[in-house]
Amino acid sequence: MNPSPQHRRSFLAHRQAVLTAPKAIAPDGLVLVDLSARPRLGFKGRGTPAWLQGRGLALPGRPNEATPQADGGLLLRLSEHEHLLLAPLSETDGQCQALATAQARERPDHVYPLPRQDSHAWLLLAGAAAADCLAKLCAVDLRADRFGLGDMAQTLMARVSVIVARADLAEHCGYHVLCDSAVAEYLWDCLLDAMAEFGGGPLDQAAFASGLRNPEPP
Amino acid sequence: MNRLPEPFGCLIDRSRPVRFRFDGLAYTGLAGDSIASALAANGVRVLSSSFKHRRPRGIYSAAGHEAGVLVQVNQEPSVAADERAIAEGMTVSRHHKGGRWIERFDRFLPVGFYYRAFFRPAFGWRLWEPIIRRRVGHGRVDPGFAGGEHDKLHLHADVAVVGGGPAGLAAALAAAETGAEVVLLHRRPRLGGGLLWGRPDAAGQHGGDLAAQLGAAVLAEPRIRILTAATVTGCFADRWLSAVQGARLIKLRARALVLASGQREQPAVFRNNDLPGVMLGSAAQRLIRLHGVKPGRRAVVATANDAGYGVALDLEEAGVELAGILDLRPGHPPGDLRQAAAHRGLPILQGRAPVAAEGRDAVQAVLHAGLDEAGGERGRLAADLLCLSVGGTPAAELAVQAGATLAYDPDVAGFRLTGLPEGVFAAGAVDRRFTAQAAEADGKAAGREAARAAGFVPQPMHRPTATAATPNHPFPIFPHPEGKDYVDFDHDVTVADVANALTDGFEHIELLKRYTTLAMGPSQGRLSALNAARLLARARNLPVAAVGAPNPRPPFGEECFGHLAGRGHHPVRRSALHPAHQARGAKFMPAGLWLRPAYYGSDAEVAVRAEVMAVHHDVGLIDVSTLGGFDIRGPDAPEFVERFHTGSFRKLAPGRCRYGLVCDVAGSLIDDGMVCRLAPEHFYVTATTGAADGIYRSMLWWQAQWRLDVDITNLTSALAGISVAGPKARDLLAPLTRDLDVSAAGLPFVGIREGHIADIPVRALRTGFVGEVAFELHVPAGMALALWEMLLTAGERLGVRPFGVEAQRILRLQKGHIIIGQDTDANTTPAEAGLALAVAMAKPYFVGRRALEIRAGQPLERRLVGFTLADPLAAPPSECHLVVRQGDIVGRVTSVAHSPVLNQTIGLAYVAPDQAEPGIAFTIKVRAGRLLNAVVTKPPFYDPAGARQA
Repeated sequence: MNPSPQHRRSFLAHRQAVLTAPKAIAPDGLVLVDLSARPRLGFKGRGTPAWLQGRGLALPGRPNEATPQADGGLLLRLSEHEHLLLAPLSETDGQCQALATAQARERPDHVYPLPRQDSHAWLLLAGAAAADCLAKLCAVDLRADRFGLGDMAQTLMARVSVIVARADLAEHCGYHVLCDSAVAEYLWDCLLDAMAEFGGGPLDQAAFASGLRNPEPP
Repeated sequence: MNRLPEPFGCLIDRSRPVRFRFDGLAYTGLAGDSIASALAANGVRVLSSSFKHRRPRGIYSAAGHEAGVLVQVNQEPSVAADERAIAEGMTVSRHHKGGRWIERFDRFLPVGFYYRAFFRPAFGWRLWEPIIRRRVGHGRVDPGFAGGEHDKLHLHADVAVVGGGPAGLAAALAAAETGAEVVLLHRRPRLGGGLLWGRPDAAGQHGGDLAAQLGAAVLAEPRIRILTAATVTGCFADRWLSAVQGARLIKLRARALVLASGQREQPAVFRNNDLPGVMLGSAAQRLIRLHGVKPGRRAVVATANDAGYGVALDLEEAGVELAGILDLRPGHPPGDLRQAAAHRGLPILQGRAPVAAEGRDAVQAVLHAGLDEAGGERGRLAADLLCLSVGGTPAAELAVQAGATLAYDPDVAGFRLTGLPEGVFAAGAVDRRFTAQAAEADGKAAGREAARAAGFVPQPMHRPTATAATPNHPFPIFPHPEGKDYVDFDHDVTVADVANALTDGFEHIELLKRYTTLAMGPSQGRLSALNAARLLARARNLPVAAVGAPNPRPPFGEECFGHLAGRGHHPVRRSALHPAHQARGAKFMPAGLWLRPAYYGSDAEVAVRAEVMAVHHDVGLIDVSTLGGFDIRGPDAPEFVERFHTGSFRKLAPGRCRYGLVCDVAGSLIDDGMVCRLAPEHFYVTATTGAADGIYRSMLWWQAQWRLDVDITNLTSALAGISVAGPKARDLLAPLTRDLDVSAAGLPFVGIREGHIADIPVRALRTGFVGEVAFELHVPAGMALALWEMLLTAGERLGVRPFGVEAQRILRLQKGHIIIGQDTDANTTPAEAGLALAVAMAKPYFVGRRALEIRAGQPLERRLVGFTLADPLAAPPSECHLVVRQGDIVGRVTSVAHSPVLNQTIGLAYVAPDQAEPGIAFTIKVRAGRLLNAVVTKPPFYDPAGARQA
């Protein structure tokens, strides 16, 4: 099924951010951004690593690792033969559309596409207290010095399955959190509740992106 | 006021008075005071009355180790008055008032009294229980009490250190120096432990200096995370700690663990050893040095160690007159503090012990006697304070929970730790390093060892050897013929009670504990286990080592229900269409973890009927996103589907679907759904809402056994589903698509096509669940909302209406479609459910085939049949009403509904196999035992030929 972007909506569109000021992502703030509308896709099957490599992607060396791509995207290796590509946080979709088209055209052996944009919601929690906040919901050690860029975990957060990876946000500490799209609103509320003691709140995706481009001076 | 001047009272802020109420009277304390210390400063000595004998009780440990200090704070019961800080406006009250008359009858209330007195006659307990319940307990539970929000926190450490005394502080520093990340947990609000209140040296200055120095170093070390006022409540496998800090339950995983929990001073046993004014020497020191409270006016100190002389020196410096120091040891034992006391001319009575306290509501005098054979002449010292310093026991609850053993060591006349598990280290007084210097050095060594265990490379260091001198007297127990010699203060267990339990045959320490309830109160034996073991050993003429100690189980300290329940995360799954349902006034019902619209509108009956009729006459939309959906792709996809399902799908043509059943290995039905072939090597399989997760797990499990060349992808959340059902369904869809032929010829019944509706990619299935022309549109979840809204808009002219699960249940029942799990149970076979046609026994293998073969050889015990009522106007039965024949149960009703279109009651029920033919009457037992006649009616009840679904 080919995507028709004009009809696509985030699973959290009805809960959209109330904060829009870029200054809300000053390094000491804590923000939750819904990136579910951003492109992402997955492939699995034993032909996947070779095919992705052939398409010029930089592959993580082992499962539970994430490798930044040249265009700013992030490739997560979920298992030996299963990968998930997150589009860059900028406005481009990175290689997502190109890969989908190539797979549909080439139909490489043992490469099965996975509709990650629909199966999973994509949230991003950023700010100095992000690790402390996630520690209220998740038993994995996500402290920034122990769970660095390139680390990725498939675990439980507030009792639902999630994929967690560090986000490369320059001076901000951030985590990508991907969950089953049906529990997006549930996890969104759990995260907002956990964030309350640190201040901050939800942030509109556009405001977040513009904040990334023009970070507030500390 | 009993408030002492500075430098006493290192915790209090003299500039900040705090007003509170106790038992209706107003008092003023200082910030930093506990409830108990503030009351002591105001001259209030009685904090509560005891659990059983209702005797007055006051401060004993000043450290939260006994039930006698439990009070009610506002709506919160069982608060330790010597631990909880006072707060402005706090209302404190006693748990029990009055009732002391019962003390006079204590000889009629021995241990085991409840077991023996109230179990006969049979109705007796109903009489006694309310009376007993009114009298016992620690406080009042207010059902309306809103305990506030609680939550949980996960922490990780290379080294976790429990205890913020000299050993713990030194251990944290030593571990952090190696590069390890350390979490230091301390039960009290301020670091320092015994250094803050003890007197390690004759001058009385060293403790405070060392606490300040170590505390500052720990605060300055960025690798140490300090959690004060945090009680570690449990220590579990692999160094996993639970701790409570405020309203938060902390779960801490550490690579290595240092337990520096200190030791706990123990009481002596003698007559009236529970009177207010009798307290541990450490309690008096805590009052003086932490809170600046003078604990009495004239004191007796009973001691079996040098630290007792430190108590005497502190008392003297606080202006308390020393009536005498009773030293239980013979001869002239050495000790700097004793020497200092002697030098100051304090009255020392060597080889004497307290044998009774006098007084009714508080101590007025202490009787003492010699400890040699003859006992010597009795003496009497008038005093309002008796401080006991006769020994201690390791605060080893966590170590024991971690796997260590508390063994009695006759050389130290007390328990000591042995057998600590790998990665767990003990340091300081908990492991017999009693002096501040020894504890600090020991902590440093343990910190380094723990860092090494956590993978860091420390400088080598030898642990100091344990102190040879012991603070413990081997038997500080002086039974009195008239009793009131308490071994356990929580439950008023006396020496005679222990003796009686032994007479009754409860000779093991754990049996003794359960029979007497000794060590079963709020303090869990913290002040009684050691003396109970000594008593038991002496009575049985055994060494104490052979008797052992009762096992301390978690939790140590206070965990409230809020800590355990707080932030209970209960996942809720919502379909992508949820916001649209909400906007339309849907009433939601749970379906597994999902929320599904039951119906739309406020009046259930009206709404459901209208929804059913809309499907029959116009067109309805139902959200079927919760159905499971799985792509089975790869060269072996046909083989996988063939093995997993009971039916035959090898010859199913691409573009076609077939009803599929799934059995477990026992041949029982576990799910049904549609098996759709999109391409020769690509199947799309659906599953029911409740079973989807289990089916996916089962698919993966079988694939792990079979290792077929196939990929299984769970699309349950990725694909939302909208079923467009009704005679006008085609009229709705046709104008919205360019590449799908929705005509009967283009997309026939049980066909599947991929295409677009309103530019949104769909998999369109022709299904027959609701009995009208129906298209199940499976669409990317992120686009489902747009499609739903477009269908509603476009369908307005056709009378389109969303319908919920309730209407769907009626519609499917009209067609006789079963719901797995409602119309089946854990034993139902396809044959019983009338689904034998969906089982291809000719296949060589499928999951459950062998069991079905065997079960086919057994006589059928029941059949699922459709039924209507003999009297169409009769009140309908309910689901699970029994089908009876001549008094025997032969089956039950599984589904029943009133069909608005047929205007009659229809249902499904299990009946005996010989009752299964259409037209046979059977009996249903309904409410109040009434019998209702029903008639077997072959489904479908509605449109039997299926003409409406063409």
